[in-house]
Amino acid sequence: MNVSREEAAKALDDIGKASDRIVQLKGYHHGAPFFVIWGLVWLGANSTMQFRPDLGNWAWGVGIAAGMVLSTVLGIMMSRKVPAGAHSSADAATGRKIGLTSGIMLAFIFTVVWIASPETKREVNAIISIMFPFLYMAAGVWAGWRLFAIGLVTAAAIIGGYVWVGEYYWLWMGVFAGGSLIAGGLWLRSA
Amino acid sequence: MDGPDEIIHQSTRLRIAATLNALPSGELLEFGKLKSILGATDGNMATHLAALEKAGYIAVEKDFVGKKPRTRVSLTRVGRKAFERHVAYLRDLLAG
Repeated sequence: MNVSREEAAKALDDIGKASDRIVQLKGYHHGAPFFVIWGLVWLGANSTMQFRPDLGNWAWGVGIAAGMVLSTVLGIMMSRKVPAGAHSSADAATGRKIGLTSGIMLAFIFTVVWIASPETKREVNAIISIMFPFLYMAAGVWAGWRLFAIGLVTAAAIIGGYVWVGEYYWLWMGVFAGGSLIAGGLWLRSA
Repeated sequence: MDGPDEIIHQSTRLRIAATLNALPSGELLEFGKLKSILGATDGNMATHLAALEKAGYIAVEKDFVGKKPRTRVSLTRVGRKAFERHVAYLRDLLAG
C-alpha cells in the first residue's frame, strides 16, 4: 500500500478535525449542567425579587451559595468519572480550582460593582448579570459556537430587559436571562 | 519507518479511530453520536466498525437502556497503538 504526501496531509487534517469535534462535544457536555444550575439560581432569585422583594437578598445569598456548592460537587464528580486513572487523584485539586475560580469571579464582581457604584438594585443586578454572557461569548470563540450563541442570546435578554422592561424587570431577568441559561444547558447537552 | 496501517488508513475508519482516540482510554461512545460526528450513514458505519472490530481495534458493547437498544464503541489498547503508529507514519512521510 502506497500513501502519497498529499494523502498523508489530508489524513492528518481529518484526524485533527475529528479530534477537535469530539473535544468540543465533551466540553459542551461537561459545561451543560453548570448552565442549568446557574440558570435555576437566576430564575429563582430574580423571581423572588419580583414577587417577594423583602426576601430578595436572602434568595440571592442562598442561591449563590447553593450554586457554588453544587458546581464544586459536580466538578469533583466529573473528575472522578474520568477513566483510566489519569486523574484519579484530582478530586481535591479540582475542588480547589473550582473554589478558587468562583472566589476570583466573586472578587471581580464585587470590585466592578464597587467601582461602578450603581445606585439601584436593578443596576447592580444588570451589571452583575451582563458580565457572564460576554464571558460565554469570549469563551465560545475558542470552545464552540453554541457557547457563543448562549452568551449572545442571554446578553440580548439582559440588555433588552434593562432598557425596555419596567415593572416586571425581575421576572423578565428570571425567565429570559435565567431561562436562556437553562435552555442553553439543555441545548449543549443535546449536542 | 513502519508502513501504513491498511485497516485504519481508510478515510471513515481513520476518522472513527481519531474520534475514539481523543476520548480517555476505555471511554465508550454511542453509535448514534459517532455517526452524527462523522456524518456517516448507518450502513457505512456498521461496515467500518465491523472491520475495526474484526482487527481488534475497537470493542463494541451492546445493551439496553430501558427497552431501547444501545450500541457503544471504544478504542482498544491494540487499536490505540495501531492508530498512534499510523499517525507517526503519516507524520514521518510528510517530514521526510
